[in-house]
Amino acid sequence: MSSQGYSALGFAGHELARASLDHCVKCTICETQCPVLAVTPLFSGPKFVGPQAERYRHGLSVDHSLDYCSSCGTCTLVCPQGVKIAELNSQARAVMKAGHMPLRDKLISQTVVMGKLMTPFAPIANAALNVGPIRSLVQGVIGIHKKAPMPKANSRTFMGWWKKHTPAQPATKGKLIFFHGCAGGYFEVDTSIKSVEVLEHLGYEVVVPKQGCCGLAQQSNGLYHEASANVVKLAKELQAAGDVTIISSSGSCTGMLKHEAHEIMGVTDPALADVGARVRDIMEFLLELDEAGELPHDFQPIKMTVPYHAPCQLKGQGMGLPALEVLKLIPGLTVVESGAACCGIAGTYGLKKEKFDVAQAVGKPLFDMIKATNPDYAICDTETCRWQLRKGTGATVDHPIALIHRSLGLS
Amino acid sequence: MSQVIVIGAGLSGLVAAIKSAEGGQQVTLISKGLGGLQLSQGTIDIHEQGLAGLESPAPHPYAAIGAENVLAGVKYLAKLLGPEFLVGDAKKNVYLPTAVGAIRPTALIPPSMAAGSVRDGAKWLIVGLRRLKDFNASLIAGNLSRLELPGGGSLSARALTIDVVAREGEVDSSALTFARAFDTPDFRQRLVAAIKPELQPGEAVGLPAILGVKQHDFWRELQASLGCEVFEIPLPPPSVPGMRLNEALTAKAKALGVRFVLGSYVSGFTAAGGKLVSVTVATTGAPQEFKADKFIYAPGGFESGALAMDSHYEITEKVFGLPLHGVAPVEELILPDYWDEQPVFKVGVSVDKQMRPLDAAGKPVYANLHAIGGIIGGAIRWKEKSGEGIALGSAWAATEGSENV
Repeated sequence: MSSQGYSALGFAGHELARASLDHCVKCTICETQCPVLAVTPLFSGPKFVGPQAERYRHGLSVDHSLDYCSSCGTCTLVCPQGVKIAELNSQARAVMKAGHMPLRDKLISQTVVMGKLMTPFAPIANAALNVGPIRSLVQGVIGIHKKAPMPKANSRTFMGWWKKHTPAQPATKGKLIFFHGCAGGYFEVDTSIKSVEVLEHLGYEVVVPKQGCCGLAQQSNGLYHEASANVVKLAKELQAAGDVTIISSSGSCTGMLKHEAHEIMGVTDPALADVGARVRDIMEFLLELDEAGELPHDFQPIKMTVPYHAPCQLKGQGMGLPALEVLKLIPGLTVVESGAACCGIAGTYGLKKEKFDVAQAVGKPLFDMIKATNPDYAICDTETCRWQLRKGTGATVDHPIALIHRSLGLS
Repeated sequence: MSQVIVIGAGLSGLVAAIKSAEGGQQVTLISKGLGGLQLSQGTIDIHEQGLAGLESPAPHPYAAIGAENVLAGVKYLAKLLGPEFLVGDAKKNVYLPTAVGAIRPTALIPPSMAAGSVRDGAKWLIVGLRRLKDFNASLIAGNLSRLELPGGGSLSARALTIDVVAREGEVDSSALTFARAFDTPDFRQRLVAAIKPELQPGEAVGLPAILGVKQHDFWRELQASLGCEVFEIPLPPPSVPGMRLNEALTAKAKALGVRFVLGSYVSGFTAAGGKLVSVTVATTGAPQEFKADKFIYAPGGFESGALAMDSHYEITEKVFGLPLHGVAPVEELILPDYWDEQPVFKVGVSVDKQMRPLDAAGKPVYANLHAIGGIIGGAIRWKEKSGEGIALGSAWAATEGSENV
């Protein structure tokens, strides 16, 4: 293992989140809100495997139910004492898995490779992913559940669109850097395109540097060495594009840059600190503009009731729910917050054959809420959550920016 | 931009946010995590001495809040939630059994606890669940039977422990897991089937407070099935009755458009001309400024970290550095006998009639900063049973009246 990989895991075994351990007063608030504990006894709960077990770990795992934690981060979010419960548990799991990482977990965290391989063969890939026997084979050999939600391969990439794209109007405001994320580059291309078009409509000059993966999927699977290298590389790529605000419509990748890579893996590279302080979720950015009185309110009415699920990794950024506030500006639109902690997928968790049933049980109340609120259309800020919700409800599920795009008359 | 920023999501913060939003104001509520309300027993304590306690002299918080504001705040909450959540009379205490078989005075209670109000001659069957470790029926029944009740008399209680499984594969289920199991008719039938044969005529059944979370009127169904009165006894956290109140108030605040910013500390502030201008919130990535016309500070006290004592025994209020009342040398604050009154817990801010923290000269520190709930000094709230009364009275006083709009 290289020195970087060693230090990231060493950090995980001994350092950061332990500092918050003694703040735990065992109030159980995290356990009442944990979406996994609510549906299965296989997980002993965030307090039990976290602040309690941590005292006995000495770098080793004392409770293997830890693997059933989905890393949704709800425990850290709701903790009134500031204990980094989810971070402690992610670190302990990485240490536990080190040395015997399943091949499956190495494969599914290769998001760029997946996107690059699937794009040229999109029709074939999509067909194959719909064939039962092929999925059964994948489940047997690799361990991805045959019914797990899979992204729909896209025959065009965001960069393919971007290279041929010219703005509809000349820029009147400053420059912004757009960070599309792997899923936004290869699968959820429409969301990335609409985000750029909204920003350009508002008068900004958008630049899109060549960019790699943030490493989030690798981090959540415990591959800290690879994840740390990826996030630093990405930070440097974004940094090279200029000293301006960075916008992303990839809610969970934004969280990786803002805090997760630093808090969970101890990445201290100054490029990450710089980029992490400059990156904004696109709805967060629109809300900031609105608060500053710089967002024109020329929204056309959309008469619709829409269920909105705020993803766990967006909530974990501690900024509230900006989409909920921004969408209030669209006349006629009623947005109903799901109130659910997590959709169950939690990145790659719900794809795994041994976690699939748990992830579906976590998602069920949310699926029911969407079906009862608007069975045809829902919104959600992150990609894998949208795949989970589409699969679980049959509804069209868009990023909130799609409604802004439509309300501005751009679609 | 919000007109009102509330910091803290406990009982006082939620009620202040709801009341401000009902008054037509744009409200943002900022909180590090969930508030302490869900750790509570789900009852509304006003004072162990009842109405007489509301006349407590300064520096008790009730002196600044005023008895009428306490009663108005309690009445407001009762009306907001309705009789499915809270019943009783703010002016008259009842005594409820605790999870160790003691009794404690409180004012408003969930209807599911009403039949557990102690009275002379009552006959109770206390039912414990073998897989719920926080509720020992023998301990509770034994202690209750030994008590002399306030006003005289006694009750008789006997214990029954049954094994009704909430979730297969678990030998140690939490109160919340049991409460969630109430959503399935099968669990309720198994529970009734285990209790009914053991029930004697004239007995009321006392169960741990697990009778449903979202839907919480299952006590009525149990009464019908068992043919007797049924009541809940609150447990240590996770406290299901506290969760019910917290979820109901949070939902009301959201329905009124209150913006929740959850998960980040308030790390600083800006002020100008004797008024607060903004608070800084340590969101991930980069801190954010939140401006408002009015700030309502409801962070709790030592228990939430809003007040902290360092290794030199210096006590500070962590966000605004507010002047604190009741500070003294440590040997006067923390007394050697555990059972002594511990004056350290009386440390907190002192406030004017609008709940604005005061400086040493008795002037408001900031004209638009109000402090409510557990941050106000002058009372040992859990000891005298005044926590919710102070929270509701101060929330009312900070949001009611033209001078506060």
